[in-house]
Amino acid sequence: MIKFWKKRFSSSILTDNLEFDKELISLQKDIKDKISKNFAKSLNIRMVDCGSCNACENECNALSNPYYNLTRLGISFVASPRHADVLLISGVNTFNMHKHLVDAYNQMPNPKYVITIGDCTKIQSSVFDKNFAIVGEIEKFIPVNWHIEGCPPSPNEIIKGLLEFLKSLPKGE
Amino acid sequence: MSRLISRFVQYGNNELELMDFFADKIEKNIVKNDKIYSLSAQYPSARWFERKIRDDFGLVIESCYDKRRLIHHESFPKVYPMRKEFNLFSKLNFDYFEPYDYEKISGSGVFNVSVGPIHAGIIEPGHFHFSQAGEQILHLEVRHFYKYRAVEKMCEGKKIEDIEKIVARISGNESIAYQIGLSNIKYQSKELHQSLEHKLQNAILLEFERLAHHFADIGFIPNDAGFSPALAVGSRYSEDVRRVLKKLTNSRFGFDIIDKELNLFEKKEFILDFLSYLEREINWFEEWIIDIPSLWDRLDSTGILNKKEAIRYGCVGVVARASGIDNDTRSDDNFYTENGFTSCLRYKGDVASRFLVRIDEIKNSLFIIKNMILKLKKTISCNNLALSKDGEYFSLVESSIGEIFMYVKIENSIISRFYVRDPSFINWQALHLMMHNDIIADFPLINKSCDLSYAGNDL
Repeated sequence: MIKFWKKRFSSSILTDNLEFDKELISLQKDIKDKISKNFAKSLNIRMVDCGSCNACENECNALSNPYYNLTRLGISFVASPRHADVLLISGVNTFNMHKHLVDAYNQMPNPKYVITIGDCTKIQSSVFDKNFAIVGEIEKFIPVNWHIEGCPPSPNEIIKGLLEFLKSLPKGE
Repeated sequence: MSRLISRFVQYGNNELELMDFFADKIEKNIVKNDKIYSLSAQYPSARWFERKIRDDFGLVIESCYDKRRLIHHESFPKVYPMRKEFNLFSKLNFDYFEPYDYEKISGSGVFNVSVGPIHAGIIEPGHFHFSQAGEQILHLEVRHFYKYRAVEKMCEGKKIEDIEKIVARISGNESIAYQIGLSNIKYQSKELHQSLEHKLQNAILLEFERLAHHFADIGFIPNDAGFSPALAVGSRYSEDVRRVLKKLTNSRFGFDIIDKELNLFEKKEFILDFLSYLEREINWFEEWIIDIPSLWDRLDSTGILNKKEAIRYGCVGVVARASGIDNDTRSDDNFYTENGFTSCLRYKGDVASRFLVRIDEIKNSLFIIKNMILKLKKTISCNNLALSKDGEYFSLVESSIGEIFMYVKIENSIISRFYVRDPSFINWQALHLMMHNDIIADFPLINKSCDLSYAGNDL
């Protein structure tokens, strides 16, 4: 492990992101305020994939790498819908996943929010048309609060999308 | 006994045809009376192919003991979507219900554990059904196809150019490999040849994709054994590669970039610098990780797939190479061997072997890219104005997971049958073999060490 610590101290902090961090600092107070009022100081996200190509999942996994380190904003991914404030949905909503998706939403405690991620989740922007195996139209079955576009959205775009979602919430709801 | 690559059914002139692709031969038989004979006694991995055929076309599989549906789940109505008379845009309702009988072992003290389709991490949906005696895994059944999007049916009736966007999004981790597979078929069908520059560009991008995927994996595997610093390091390198891909192709996953003019040769210096950076880092990583005994306690002798079973199941890709099978589409290709490709083999078939194969392949990929980038002389030009000639075409591409088989039949310049077999489709079926000496807590580690695709498998 000594090799690791040597390297750790010799390399700089990777989360430096010049264009983005300025905006973050200005937002941070607001975000903290929002997260602490609405979500008891931490925003917990549960991700459910219902028919994506795995690129959106990869980008969400990338959010926890040393470049982005989402946890520093008080946002974390949790293991169960029952622990979650936000359901993050990717994919086209396939016939085989549809019931499980609705089930996951129903398992969440109130207040709950839903964010869709990636172009697949909207029929207009999706490469995949609606067909017998694709139910699509997530917003018809569960209320969707926010959408993050991109195919796939880059980690920066996901963070921006999450921040915009937080901004859209009414103050101290 | 030669390896079974894939087995599927297509429409012939008037009747259905059964296509069997083996490593050394291709067989085409006419289906009589809607019945086909099962190969599953000889080739265990034929089982999913045949269950898929039954779901898609409603054929009877003779002498196949497994009568359950595969891609159609409990509430999927009894329809046969790949039949020509079935309309792609029909709407199905959820009223139908047919229970699914899991493979399970019963007895006093034996219990079952169901996991999924929604898992605890950020991963794709799939179901795992364990029969347990205490902590010991007695049996595992893998049940997938939650992400079934009907890609095969979707591509029928279109031109090759029109399905490029769909094919790029079959599986995000293997997107470039899928695109190259389709591009190869496109060039075959137009009787055009790819220039050397074009081949080099494709191959460089394919190796970049392998790097991004393997770097993520060498982080995730130790992380599943409880060693998270490796994830921080591995995911960092993976992010580096994705950022470079973004710079080179304007897409972090390389979506829709094959057959485009990318001017890679102008960025030669930049790429070479980046490669030597990665080379330094991977050497450091290997030296560091080899030195952590508590990690290797978990990786060594966990999830063993022995060579005999791997051959019987026809395993491909990293899983096969970690069990000592020299199976790599690139090794048959002079183009690769001239550019420094060597097969990376390990022989124990355990998690550690699969981990080490990935490290070896990263080093080899770096070497290949370096050799290829020096040969780039000019921008490629792609003119694909010619129409596709009718016929049947297939291609094999080695993705980061393993060999992708793609088949396209063209009639009147449009696709009448599109079929792909992801490497995961075979390897998922062999996953249960790796569980027999291990406890349930080892399952995530073993599963991650194979790192199979759900989306590519489900289509």
